[in-house]
Amino acid sequence: MPPIRDAMSAFELFQPASVGDALGILDRHGADAWVMAGGMDTFDWLKDRIKKPKVVVDLGMVDELRGIKDAAGGLEIGATTTLTTVANNPLVKERFPLLAEAALIVASPQIRNQGTVGGNISQDARCWYYRAGWPCYRAGGNICYADTPTAVNREHAIFNADRCVAVNPSDTAPALVALDAEFVIKRGSAERVVPAREFFIGPGIDITRLTVLQPGDLLTAIRIPATWAGKAHYFEKVRDRMVWDFALVNIAASLNMSGATISDARMVVNGVAAEPYRLDAVEAAIKGRPRDKATAEMAADLAVQGAVPLRHNAYKIPLVKALVKRAIRGEAEWATS
Amino acid sequence: MGNLVSWARSPWGDSVLTHISWDLFWASLIGGLLFLVAHGGYMLFSQHHKRDSSEVDRMEADRKGLPANVLRHGFVARMFHWVMAFSMLTLLLTAFLPIVGVQFAWVQWHWMAGILLTASIMFHIVHATFVLDFWSIWVGPKDIPEFKAEMMREVGIDAPGPKPGKYPLGNRLYHLAVVVAGLSVIVTGILMMWRVRTGLVERNPYMLTDSTWGITYVVHGLMGVGFVGLVIAHIYFALRPEKLWVTKSMIFGTITRRQYLEHHDPDRWVAESKSGSNVG
Amino acid sequence: MAEQQKPVAPAIPVAPTKPAPGEAPKKLEFRLLGHNYTTPDLVAKVTGKAKYAEDFRAEGMVFIKLMPSPRPHARVISIDASAALAMPGVHGILTAKDLPAPPPPPGPVPAAAAAARPAGTPPGTPAGSPAPQAAAPGGGGAPAAPAPAAGAAPPVAAPTPPPMPPEFALTDEPVYEGEPILAIAADSEELAAEAIDRIVVEFEALPFVIDPLEGMRPGSPDGRTQGNVFVGPSMKTVKWTAADMAMVDAGKFPVNAEATETLTYGDIEKGFAEADLIVERDSQQQTTSHQPLESRSAMAYWQNGKCHINVSTQSLARTVAAVAGWVGIKPEELVLISEYTGGGFGSKIPGSQSIAIPALMSKKLNGRPVMMRISRAEETYIGRVRPGYQGWVKMGFKKDGRITAVDTFIVEASGPYRRQGDHATSANLATLQFQAPNMRFRGLSVATNTPPGTSQRAPGGLQSSVWFEPVVAEAARKLGIDQVAIRRLNAPEGTAQFGLNPPNTPPGRPRNKVTSCFVKECLDKGAEIFGWEARKANSGKRTGSKVRGIGVATGAYTAGSIGVDGLCVLRPDGKLEIHQGIGNLGTHSVVDTARVIAEIANVPWENCEVVWGNTAKGLPWSSIQAGSQTTYAHTRANYATGMDLKKKLTEIAAKDFGGTPEQYDTNAQGVIRKGGGLRLTWAKAAERAIALGGIYDGTEVPKELNAMTKAAAAAHKGRGLMGVARDNLPRDGQTYGFMSGFAEVEVDVETGVWRILEYVGVADVGTVIHPNSLGGQIHGGGIQGIGHVRSQKLVYDPHYGAGLSTRLHHNKPPTILDIPHTLKWAAVELPDPTNPIGAKGIGEPSVGAAAGAVLNALADAIGDGIIRRTPVQPEHIMEALANGGKPAYEPLTAFI
Repeated sequence: MPPIRDAMSAFELFQPASVGDALGILDRHGADAWVMAGGMDTFDWLKDRIKKPKVVVDLGMVDELRGIKDAAGGLEIGATTTLTTVANNPLVKERFPLLAEAALIVASPQIRNQGTVGGNISQDARCWYYRAGWPCYRAGGNICYADTPTAVNREHAIFNADRCVAVNPSDTAPALVALDAEFVIKRGSAERVVPAREFFIGPGIDITRLTVLQPGDLLTAIRIPATWAGKAHYFEKVRDRMVWDFALVNIAASLNMSGATISDARMVVNGVAAEPYRLDAVEAAIKGRPRDKATAEMAADLAVQGAVPLRHNAYKIPLVKALVKRAIRGEAEWATS
Repeated sequence: MGNLVSWARSPWGDSVLTHISWDLFWASLIGGLLFLVAHGGYMLFSQHHKRDSSEVDRMEADRKGLPANVLRHGFVARMFHWVMAFSMLTLLLTAFLPIVGVQFAWVQWHWMAGILLTASIMFHIVHATFVLDFWSIWVGPKDIPEFKAEMMREVGIDAPGPKPGKYPLGNRLYHLAVVVAGLSVIVTGILMMWRVRTGLVERNPYMLTDSTWGITYVVHGLMGVGFVGLVIAHIYFALRPEKLWVTKSMIFGTITRRQYLEHHDPDRWVAESKSGSNVG
Repeated sequence: MAEQQKPVAPAIPVAPTKPAPGEAPKKLEFRLLGHNYTTPDLVAKVTGKAKYAEDFRAEGMVFIKLMPSPRPHARVISIDASAALAMPGVHGILTAKDLPAPPPPPGPVPAAAAAARPAGTPPGTPAGSPAPQAAAPGGGGAPAAPAPAAGAAPPVAAPTPPPMPPEFALTDEPVYEGEPILAIAADSEELAAEAIDRIVVEFEALPFVIDPLEGMRPGSPDGRTQGNVFVGPSMKTVKWTAADMAMVDAGKFPVNAEATETLTYGDIEKGFAEADLIVERDSQQQTTSHQPLESRSAMAYWQNGKCHINVSTQSLARTVAAVAGWVGIKPEELVLISEYTGGGFGSKIPGSQSIAIPALMSKKLNGRPVMMRISRAEETYIGRVRPGYQGWVKMGFKKDGRITAVDTFIVEASGPYRRQGDHATSANLATLQFQAPNMRFRGLSVATNTPPGTSQRAPGGLQSSVWFEPVVAEAARKLGIDQVAIRRLNAPEGTAQFGLNPPNTPPGRPRNKVTSCFVKECLDKGAEIFGWEARKANSGKRTGSKVRGIGVATGAYTAGSIGVDGLCVLRPDGKLEIHQGIGNLGTHSVVDTARVIAEIANVPWENCEVVWGNTAKGLPWSSIQAGSQTTYAHTRANYATGMDLKKKLTEIAAKDFGGTPEQYDTNAQGVIRKGGGLRLTWAKAAERAIALGGIYDGTEVPKELNAMTKAAAAAHKGRGLMGVARDNLPRDGQTYGFMSGFAEVEVDVETGVWRILEYVGVADVGTVIHPNSLGGQIHGGGIQGIGHVRSQKLVYDPHYGAGLSTRLHHNKPPTILDIPHTLKWAAVELPDPTNPIGAKGIGEPSVGAAAGAVLNALADAIGDGIIRRTPVQPEHIMEALANGGKPAYEPLTAFI
């Protein structure tokens, strides 16, 4: 049903000034509370009247959640640091151009000015059936409307679909997975540090969430180790429009070169599964090989093994292949096809 | 039914059922455990009257032809039971572990176990119809005299009246419940195969209307949680000391001649030797 | 003329003149026209001071929310609003039963005229309402006399089914998802929304159709209970054969399937027999939502028996009758205010039905102000769409590139309410753009339970360039002919003829002709600016994974109507008030055409005040702001008005100072005696007019004026010297504007991602009256065309008939980074001989040229076999190239 839009239901607004206060509020209100950073995802849900939280906790006043600082050659980025700040930060650009590029290509300048990196990685699925408020698996129902014979599912998953075929829409998430980042999550007085890869979860694990964050959890910071600083990075996003569009597929790769051969690699594609899809087989196979056409071809074939296309998204298979080849090629000039 | 099932707005704005409330799982679990405690307590004081040993001695003397070990469950029947038990436990674990917080990709295991269950049940129906004594497990009005007598015996009175044939009445009632619940989960579960990706059928999530699907999911859920209680009860009985001889027979196939005579009416259940020939 | 700083040269003709035979048309020079200036509304717009409909607030104002239909087609059985109305702060409900019945339909409508809604005429107008529709002249590609209108239904022998009922603002039989069922007024929008959540509506589900071709399947449901195909004002059920549908299922358009509309010219069989090369293809273009920046919000209240409504509309004068009809009042009982409009693109030509909702709710609430803000999601549902096409096209060419025949079949997704004429318009335009000696058009206008279709900027015109231009480009490549040359060869020129006829039209019937046409000049000028010859080296040039392509295309559209009025008042303070009934829809035409009066009468622009945007201010009858009519129509009307003003000035001078009026003229200060000095200042002339009365101060006005102009004149009589006139100038032919577009693209063959490196658009719009506005229109229209080719679309789930692209970012209109950093434009500036200042319209001709040029450049880069549908998404290219040039997308499926 097309529900009434743009008439936000009332809620109680909290604007804590510290992480401690924020955690206290979250603890008190549990599942009734909604954490809001930049509001780019939040207001879609609230204005569409699909989510009606009793309490909204606006993190906009919590200064300690913002900022980028050196951490032993790596970086620690506050969760509510804006995407614009991440994209323009000299340390990010110098050490992790992959992340700077990913942040720079998110949505539009206005959204990047308001949207945060924590919000970008924690945002919910953008499946238009789910976002229409339909009672699909992800919304607690018993069907995936996007995975039916007549569904329009050009933007949906080709990997690891389990009932739900929504994809993770983030641009920065695959970059952070490719950089072995860790996410700091606080809850009450406890703190846990979750590797990026474990932060994102597929529908098999929990069909109603894209991340491990539960009510009461607060993502406070992103830690990027020095491991991949200054290594070879590649990011590319394929989309319909050059601004204000989610990725059809994006790829984030970091390669450690020793001489002309790849000594270690991380390669992650997003927009193809409910979590940033790490190409483990490719990473293993390209170790010890040069960045040449043969490696690229082999990697491309490996990358798409196990892909299951839907009616309208089979193109994602050759597109993933193309992007994997391009990531291995980097700035070199040889043609991949 | 307000809180026992969950409702949603269909894309056309209609109220449709989606699931049972998972609280019902806890209800079934707790119900099963409460029954277990209650029955266990009851058994401490139970006056259950089985056949007098003197009578059994006499019967044993009368029936010299009886083998020392009477076949209760043939190999095929035992295989079926354990395959079914395995698939049922897998189904329950894959269905309910995620609800209690153990999260894993369960759907594939669930439907595969479901297929195993379905296949085993289908085999069982054929086997029971053509090979086994089909009616020996069913309950009906004709069992009322036996029911009366067994109730009397339960309170310690050596009542006249029929003794159980091959299957005691409780056993048969349990089977009936399992038949109803089992066929319900199987039929609904098979329909659900059109909803998920299995590669076995051509998916059509729109095969039924939104509201019919809702009922399907609710029935599957209700019967599924029902099985939690049923299975708890079943395992409990299987492990009760006084029932262990039955449990053993499901493993080894036979009971002793004496057990046979103690618990059954040899006229209603004509014992077979292990080879399968009648030795009545 | 001695005191005139800058003489007007050449002198403005007193009446439209045809250049003498053989005489080359020449650019006209003016004092004001053709020069850039700052329009008086601009500062308010850029500073945010401009008040649009939803910016108005009034004491005691309440807010409306609409209940959208959850189903694509259903009947409302019952509505229980008791719980909602019991809520404190909820003031009222409005349902379909509260809407006034439409006025009785006018007398019998000739089938042909009724069938052809000329493109560019107002949409969403209840049949028979006193809407501008009837008077809309020269609609795109569907001209009136002498040739029959385009898209005419074939002669029907059987009794004609009754006309379809009109569309209302609220309905008991929703025919598309999101169609408003009822409205609730409350203290706040949130409260109104909460109230609607408590309303229980019982529906009876009815069958629906999303993809038009699915509606043709034997046994498939019809989009309306009356049928699935619009035939004229009625409907019938037409189903294709199983064999036809088997072709559709195989991804092939069934060219021999049944059509309900056929138009022809010449003999296509002969044309194809003469051809050396025949190119044919299936093709599809998408339905797109108009998505103007400003949604169709409205605020209304009643005061002293009059209904005041702040609306968002394209036209102003021509919105009055439509809104009055929807509200059920007389036009004179309506005060319509729309000073600024955030675009309409054809979706708000006379406003929209929903305007009636706050007006009628306010009436129920005893005149209390009622605001209805339309959200973006609602706008996507009720805001109209351009009908998509599925079909086939075949063209024959001689070796030299000359087109011998065109055959096409177009199935149009009309939406649920009315036949859309886009497909017939496209065919008609093809006869103009390509001057084919033989052509046939067959078509179906299929009812779909999707948002109602209506004219969208160049309705049928954009689609014409997208439909036919790539075929011409493919032929040129196959024949080894230069792309510019093949277009020059087939281009119309002079007073080119065009148009199609229904079958069995008696031979010898005269065809339509245009008033002027300078397509070849556009092509030449564009080729020069673009550097066509030099850029040919870029065609197919590969750098790494990127390959380039260049393309050229033409576009054409109606560009002017006639017969409207102008009104101005020279006040005793020396200021000239120029009244405009034109809507301020963002094109500047409301001000640009006003300058013609100042130009004619020699009044300094600084002395002029333009009055617009509020019918209470007394505004003259105007054209609709659609069909690119305004510039042509109102330069003519204001020319006549300026001449009237000047005539009266010289007459007053002659009365006061002797001699004949011909001995007087005007300069920047006022009336002068030719060869002498100033006789009357502007202020003095105004005083004298008041003293003289009669025709001079507006007490007497010409009988031929429209009633609205007469009412405006009556309101302003006695305030000064009134210039008022109707455009009675002659015109022979239909006025069309033309464009050439040139584009270079770069395609990444590995990912299919493509971008436009360069775009040049050159317009044949006659005299340029405001260069900056013209540039805005050429670029704006061009970008809209680019969006059609690049990304814009509407997506529907066919199972539920539900919209999926309900958010703006799902609609994917083009962004600023999707177009070249520099866009270039120019105009050939050759005057149209039927307009005294030589001007024609441009808003719509600009759209198709850009779309066609970009499509042709893409095919130049990647080959002819790949692009068969728009928008051209990256995967369409990438998959085909990875697959040996064979496309992998579904060629005919709509709304994906």
